Amino acid sequence: MTIKCEAGAPARYATQNGRKRSFAGAEIVSAIVRAWSIVSATLREIFDESAYQRFLERKHIRSSPAAYSMFQCENNQAKARRPRCC
Amino acid sequence: MPKLLRIILWIAVSLLGALALATIALHRGEQINALWLVVAAVCTYAVGYRFYSGFIAAKILALDPLRATPAERLDNGRDFVPTNKWVVFGHHFAAIAGPGPLVGPVLAAQFGYLPGTLWIIAGAVLGGCVQDFVILLFSIRRDGKSLTEIAKSEIGPIGGVIAYIAVISIIVILLGATALIVVNALKSSPWGTFTIAMTIPIAVLMGFYLRRIRPGKVLESSLLGFILVIAAIFGGQWVSQQPSWAAAFTLTAPTLAVLIIGYGFAASSLPVWLLLAPRDYLSTFVKLGTIALLAVGIIAFRPSLHMPPLTRFADGTGPVFAGTMFPFAFITIACGAISGFHSLISSGTTPKLIRRETEARFVGYGGMLAESMVGIMAMISACVLQPGIYFAVNSPAGVVGQSPEAAAATISSWGFPVTAAQMATLAHAVGEQTLFNRTGGAPAFAVGMAQIFSNTLGGQAVMALWYHFAIMFEALFILTVIDAGTRVGRFMLQDALSHIWKPLGRTSWYPSILFTSALIVAAWGNFLWQGVKDPLGGINSLWPLFGICNQLLAIVALCVATTIIVKMSRASDGVANTGNVIASSAPKRRLSYVFVTLTPLCWLVAVTFTASWHKVLDPNPRIGFLAHANQLARTTANPRLIFNDRLDAAVTSLLVVMVTMILIESAAVCGRIITGTKAAVIRESPYVATRLPLEEPA
Repeated sequence: MTIKCEAGAPARYATQNGRKRSFAGAEIVSAIVRAWSIVSATLREIFDESAYQRFLERKHIRSSPAAYSMFQCENNQAKARRPRCC
Repeated sequence: MPKLLRIILWIAVSLLGALALATIALHRGEQINALWLVVAAVCTYAVGYRFYSGFIAAKILALDPLRATPAERLDNGRDFVPTNKWVVFGHHFAAIAGPGPLVGPVLAAQFGYLPGTLWIIAGAVLGGCVQDFVILLFSIRRDGKSLTEIAKSEIGPIGGVIAYIAVISIIVILLGATALIVVNALKSSPWGTFTIAMTIPIAVLMGFYLRRIRPGKVLESSLLGFILVIAAIFGGQWVSQQPSWAAAFTLTAPTLAVLIIGYGFAASSLPVWLLLAPRDYLSTFVKLGTIALLAVGIIAFRPSLHMPPLTRFADGTGPVFAGTMFPFAFITIACGAISGFHSLISSGTTPKLIRRETEARFVGYGGMLAESMVGIMAMISACVLQPGIYFAVNSPAGVVGQSPEAAAATISSWGFPVTAAQMATLAHAVGEQTLFNRTGGAPAFAVGMAQIFSNTLGGQAVMALWYHFAIMFEALFILTVIDAGTRVGRFMLQDALSHIWKPLGRTSWYPSILFTSALIVAAWGNFLWQGVKDPLGGINSLWPLFGICNQLLAIVALCVATTIIVKMSRASDGVANTGNVIASSAPKRRLSYVFVTLTPLCWLVAVTFTASWHKVLDPNPRIGFLAHANQLARTTANPRLIFNDRLDAAVTSLLVVMVTMILIESAAVCGRIITGTKAAVIRESPYVATRLPLEEPA
């Protein structure tokens, strides 16, 4: 029994460590995906892509040159008044 | 994390920061590694954010996660949009980071690396971050109102008018000073001039691409624009090597000034989608990428600083700009330590995006810490240069002499050895004809940045490409500041003129557009022309003037913040609501907590008023505007130069008088509230509980 126990213990630990490793790996991947999604969302907000999407949803229209012109008319009024810092 | 471990961790961070600060402050004789500056800054910022901003958030502002923000209450999918805090942080950082934190530290490096570095770190943690944070929160609690509106409602009508005049003055002087930086960076540089000239058709092409080919794909078009700009840098190298092309793009400072003035006028009058918007996107794309690249370069290369901690020029005899370390180091570095201009951003777009009050700390305080780090990187870029080279690049011919040999001899006589041959080799390495007298900070920053990059990627063979990449990067976003600033100034002017004649306020009426654009361009163009014609290089007078204006605006912002904090300490529950006028529902705060805004306010009053006194009345003609005008009047100088000096003196005096008025009005309001002769009424929006779930995915 003791031997079995002694013999089984490392195997069990190895499995747990393997699970822990795969769990940690999944966490890292998920953290990277989360970080990328935040970076991507930030860039889309800074570059007004999100604002354009919201405009399309608000107006219930699809993206087109005409829609983008309308968006720019609306957005640029505010954008042009926005100061840029020194 | 267990509490004990947390305590040990923060003690370790504090000790490491203290060690790094002691090292940079006390190290003498040998060169110091730039990483000490980075460690000192990062540790101080971490401690400042964790403890100081935590104290302000909890004890003074009493941030309430359950109180709905205007982004939630007024959500219209356009101006008011509840947004993830990281996204708002990026947006806010992109709006506050401009050429200021890059140029100011480079100029202030003439005192050595120590004064500027300490001011950037301490100024940010105790002043700049506090200002940005509290103004952001106060704007959130007032439906995203602007600084001028808050000043008007919390201090009085004079406060609002003065804030308005301060804003328009700072915009005009900022545009003149930054345009001069571009002129000095591009004069006699066919490579740089070609590259920057190409950014205009590239931006127009991006505008058409966005509007006609791929509507709304801004990131895609910015990437395309970036690739074209890189191609333009290589094209610039080819142009500089072809005699006929090089001659066409080798322009003098006055010619460049006229072109930039014309550009500003055109950019302000043309449709936004054609030039301003795509250039803004391109500039932001390059800015964020380059700042990240510079951080990686400094960490990877770990350069040594060749500049001593303190130079002899702390006595006020500096060639880059005249004036003693106090107060001039503290107005030369505004953005990066404390910048009044940030209060406009903190009370502009950002408060309309914040999803939860508690996130104001991360965005306001944290965003300024990130900008301060950019200032540290700029300081490192300037100080990795040999001091002789730094002074040769940044000193005007009027101070060091016209010929390379004379300039090298003058600079070497100060104890910073440099030779004409050494400068010629460096100029050749970066693809320029000469690097002498390239005042303004941008060329020195570009040489430092090229040195860091070329030691990290590509070696000396590509130093010229890195130099011109850095020049392109700076000039690109300075020109963006110019076209956006001219347009903002034009709108402000139209708003003001509409009180005189209504049609002038119509923003789509072309006669009004052309008239007000011409007025704004003439205003900053005058300062630019003055700088170009100034034998002392222009930066000597314009940058301190800009610094004074910027810090005076910070005084206005801190006055507003201090008045509100005093009111919060005296407001009692149960005051009747009158429209949107309510008493703060939060518990009373101690009056002594007012020190968080009062301390930086007092410091800035001391700094800016002393600097203004020197700039107007100092008997040294290199410092005092009036002394310089009198000196010119005794010779047969151009009367225009004399007029310019007197104009600078008048502008400085006028701003100081106005800010004094707001200080007095603010002090009077606070005094009446403290003595109980005036009710402490806080004009916040009514409290509404949030409907957003408390825990949201990041």
